[in-house]
Amino acid sequence: MRTRLTSPTVLVVLAAFLVSVAPHLMAMPPMLWLFVAASLTWRLGAELRNWRPPGRLIRVGATFLGLGLVILHYGTLWGRRAATALLCVMVASKLLEMYRLRDGRMVAALAFFLVATQFLFSQRLELLLWLLASCWLAVAALLRIQRDEDAPRTTPVRSDHVGVMRVLKSGAGQLAFALPFALVLFALFPRLGSPLWGLPEEALDGRTGLSDEMSVGEIASLFNDDSPAFRVTFDGTVPARDRLYWRGPVLWRFDGRTWRRVFYANRPVERVPSIDDDSLRYRVQIEPTERRWLFALDYPARWPDEVRVSANFELLRDEPLTTLTPYTVISEPDFVDTPELSPLFRRLATELPEGSNPRTRERAIELRREYPNDAELIDAVLRWFNEGPFFYSLETAPLGRHGADEFLFDLRTGYCEYYASAFAVLMRHAGIPTRIVTGYQGGFWQAADDYLLVRNSDAHAWVEVWLEGRGWVRVDPTAAVSPSRILDGARGAVPGAGNWLDAEWIFALRNQYDRLQHLWNQWVLGFDADRQQSMLRRLGLQALGVTGQAALMIAAVLLLGPLAWWLLGLLRRDPQRRDPIERAWRRVERRLRRRGVPRAPGETLREWTPRAAGAIANGGELERLAETYSRLRYGRPVPEPAVRRFLERCRRWRPLVDRAR
Amino acid sequence: MMSSNSSSSTRLFPEALRRRVHRAFDGWLRRRGPTLPPLTLHYRQIFILPTPFGWMIALLLHGMLLGSLNFNNSMGLFTTFLVACTGLLSLHLAYRNLEGVRIESVHAEPVFAGQDAELRVALREGAGRARSGIVCLLATGPPLEGVDLAPNGTAVCHLSVSTRQRGVHRLDRVRVRTRQPLGLFEAWSWVHPGTSLRVWPRPAEPAPPRPESSTAERSSRAGDESDEFHGLRGWREGDPLHRIAWKASQRHDQLLARQFTRPERGRLVFRLDAVPAASVEDRLSVLCRWILDAERDGLDYGLDLGWTRIEPGHGEAHRKRCLDALAEHP
Repeated sequence: MRTRLTSPTVLVVLAAFLVSVAPHLMAMPPMLWLFVAASLTWRLGAELRNWRPPGRLIRVGATFLGLGLVILHYGTLWGRRAATALLCVMVASKLLEMYRLRDGRMVAALAFFLVATQFLFSQRLELLLWLLASCWLAVAALLRIQRDEDAPRTTPVRSDHVGVMRVLKSGAGQLAFALPFALVLFALFPRLGSPLWGLPEEALDGRTGLSDEMSVGEIASLFNDDSPAFRVTFDGTVPARDRLYWRGPVLWRFDGRTWRRVFYANRPVERVPSIDDDSLRYRVQIEPTERRWLFALDYPARWPDEVRVSANFELLRDEPLTTLTPYTVISEPDFVDTPELSPLFRRLATELPEGSNPRTRERAIELRREYPNDAELIDAVLRWFNEGPFFYSLETAPLGRHGADEFLFDLRTGYCEYYASAFAVLMRHAGIPTRIVTGYQGGFWQAADDYLLVRNSDAHAWVEVWLEGRGWVRVDPTAAVSPSRILDGARGAVPGAGNWLDAEWIFALRNQYDRLQHLWNQWVLGFDADRQQSMLRRLGLQALGVTGQAALMIAAVLLLGPLAWWLLGLLRRDPQRRDPIERAWRRVERRLRRRGVPRAPGETLREWTPRAAGAIANGGELERLAETYSRLRYGRPVPEPAVRRFLERCRRWRPLVDRAR
Repeated sequence: MMSSNSSSSTRLFPEALRRRVHRAFDGWLRRRGPTLPPLTLHYRQIFILPTPFGWMIALLLHGMLLGSLNFNNSMGLFTTFLVACTGLLSLHLAYRNLEGVRIESVHAEPVFAGQDAELRVALREGAGRARSGIVCLLATGPPLEGVDLAPNGTAVCHLSVSTRQRGVHRLDRVRVRTRQPLGLFEAWSWVHPGTSLRVWPRPAEPAPPRPESSTAERSSRAGDESDEFHGLRGWREGDPLHRIAWKASQRHDQLLARQFTRPERGRLVFRLDAVPAASVEDRLSVLCRWILDAERDGLDYGLDLGWTRIEPGHGEAHRKRCLDALAEHP
C-alpha cells in the first residue's frame, strides 16, 4: 500500500485545483493570483523536474505570506471575497506539501468546496459547464488517488498515462450516472422558505450596479458593462420605450461635484398611489449587485413585504442583493407626487454651494426674467439644449470646479450625467425645486420570450422638477439633446462608439444567449421554496409537508436507481444477445433450465446436449435443434429462409417431461 | 497470534475483556453467515462504512448544503447534490467491487518462533466483473498492497504475521476490504481462515551438545557420491547415467554401475526429558536445534516427546514432522 502520490496523480490533482480555482483567480488582485499561480507552478515543476520538497520553514512562511496578502488587500478575513481568497491561498500553500495521499485527497475535496463558493458571486449559465468540469477532474483525482493506494506493488508507476485516461473516463461515467439523481434531489429537496441567517453585509467589490451617489463622469464605466442588470416580464401591456424609466436612488444634495441622497428622504412613503386597470404589473429578476436598491417604474404602488419604499419612491431592500432576486411590483404612472412641497424640502431642493457656477447663475437670472412661469422656463432650456450646439457623446472631458459653467458654455459635449447635473444646477439657480434621479432607462425587448432585458449599460440619470399643482415632474434633458438615446439606448446614440465586439451579429448572438440565461434564471436559479411548491401543486401533490416531500424525494431516488441500472444494462448488453439465432437458442436453454437441466458455465454444447436430451421425453428434437444451431452459428453462411425456419422451431419447441421417469 | 499483535487497545481495555468482546463478535459473525473459506462474499458478509475521509467529505457537504439552502443558492445546491450522489454511487460501487469475490483458502506455512509467517489468501473472481484494489489485512496489522482481479481470474494476497510463541495458533479473522473507487466508503468482509499456523520453537543458540548415537541402531544402505565407493554391480533401470562405470562396462561387456555405501552412522532418538535445560520451552528449543543439526549432518533421527514418538528417519518431510510435533507439544 502506497502512502505517497505518484506523478500522474499529482498532475490530475493539480489540474482539478487549477480548474476549480480559475474563476476565483479572475476576481482576485494580482498579488494573490500570482501567489496561487506561483505555488501551482512550483508544485508542477517539482513533480516534473524532481525538485526537492520545501523545508518546514518555507512552507510555514508561504502560508503566513498568503494570509498576510489577503489581510493586506481586503483589510479583513470576514466577508465572502476575503474568505474565499483566503481559502484559495491556503489550498495553494497546501500544494507545497502535497506529497502524501491524504494531502492529495484534501486538495481534491476542497476543489468541490471552491466550486460551491464561486456560486456566492455568480450563478451564470456558463458556470454550469465549469462546475461539471471541476467536479469531473476532482472525482478523477480521487479515483486516481485511491488507485495509488490500492495498486498492486508490481504495477509500474511511470507508464501510467493510460491509467490517467482511464480514471478520466470512469470519472465522467460516474458523474453522468450521478447527474439524474442530483437533478431529482434538486427538484424535490425541501427548500427553506426564509433564510436561517443573513450574509455579512459588505460592500462587494463595488463593481456592479449604480451607486447611491453621482459624481459627474461616473456612470461612464457602466456604459461598457454589457452585463444584465435585471430582466422584466410584464403582465399585460408593455409601456412604450420612452416611458421605461427605471427609478433608482433619488439625489438631493449637491456639493459642487457630487450629488448625494438626503437623510430626510429615508422616511417611508406617505401617500401610496391607488391602482386601477391601467397600472403596470410586472415581475423583475434582478442580478446581484451587493446593494439594496431595487428598480421600478414610476410610481410604485404595490411592492413585496421585504422592501421599503422611501418618500422619494425609492425601493430599498432589507438585505443587500447577493443572489438573483425576483420581486413583483405594480406601478401607477398617473400619480401626482407631493402636491404640496414643505418649506424644508423646498429649501433642500434648491440648495447650491456658495459661489459656484457664476455663469450658470447669471444665465438662470436672465431666463427667470424672460419666463416668469416655471414650465415655460424649463421648455426654454430644453429648446436651448435641443437647438444649440450640444452634443451627446460618451467620450468627453472631465469637469472642474464650476462643472455646470464649463459644461453649459464651453464643453457642451457629454452624456446623461453631464446634462442632468448641469440642468439641475441651472434650475436651482432659477429657484425651481429640482432633484436628480438615477436608474436605468429603456432595455432590450426579447420578443421571442416576452421579456425586457435591462443591461448595466442602460444606466441613466434624469431630473425631476417640482411644479405647482403637478408635483414632481420628470424632465430628461438628455432626451432633448439626443432623442435616440432614449429610443435606441446609449450605444445607439453614439455612432461609431465602442469596439469590434459591438458588431451587429455578435450583439444578436449575445441577445440570443441572454434568452437562455433568462430561462436558466427563471427555472433553475429562481427555483425557490415557492416555485417548488407550485411545481408540486401542478403535479397534484399539494399539502405534502416537509416530511411528505422528503419521503417523495427518497422514493423518487430509490425508483431512479433500478431504472438507471436497467438502462445502463441495455447499453452494455452483451452484443451476442442481439443476434437472433443466439437469442432463440438461449430461449431453448432457458426452457430446459426451468425443467431442471441447466447448462453449467463451461459446459460445452456437445457435453450438455446428450445430457439434456436424456432428461426429457423429446430429446431427439433437442439434439436436432442443437445440431442446426451449431451449424448456423459456426458453419458457412446459410440462406435467410433456413435461419427463419430455425428461429420458428426454437420458438415453438417445448421440453416434454416424461412423467413415468 | 493475538499476543503477537500488541496494539494500543491492549492498554486501554483489560486483555480479558478485549478477548471476550473479540470472541463475541466472532460468534456474531459466524451466526450471520458462513465465514470459512471457500467462501463467496455476499451481502450477508459485506459491511460498509465511510472512511475517515468519507466522513470529512460528508461534513463538508453538510456545510455546503446548509449554506446553499440558506441563501437559496441553486447552483451551490446542485453542486452539493452532484457530489453527494457521486459519493453515494461510490458506496454502491464499493459494495459491487467486493460482492461475488470468492475467498478460496487462507493458508500459512509454518515458521520458527520470532520469524514472520506469510499468510496467503487466495482470491477468485466468480461473477465475470473485473475487480480492483482488494486488500487483505489482519484485524490489527497494517494494510499491505491490494490485488486486482481480472474477470474470472485469481490472485493471492500475502500477509505477514509476526510470531513470538511456539505452538499451534488458530489464525485470527482476516479482513478483506476495498475502498474503491473514491476512497469514501470502505466495504469489508471478515473471513475466518479455519486453518492454523504452526510455529516451531526457536532453535536454541547456543545449544548443549547433541547426544551421540548411544541409543543408535546401525544401518547401511546405498547412498550417493558423497559416500565411499563400495563396488560395482550390474546396471539396473533407474540408475543415473553418471553412475555407470563406462570403462569397467566395456571390459565386462555389460553395463555396470558404481555402488556406494554410506559410512555407518548413528540413528538418534531425541528424548524430551533427557534434554539438559530447565523449562519445557527451552528443552523444545534445544530439540529443535538438534533436529536441524542432525538433518544438516545427514543423520537419521527420531523424537520422543512422551505423548508421541517418531521413529528415526531423515529428509525434508521427516524434519517437518518432527518440528510439527515440537510445535504441537502441549
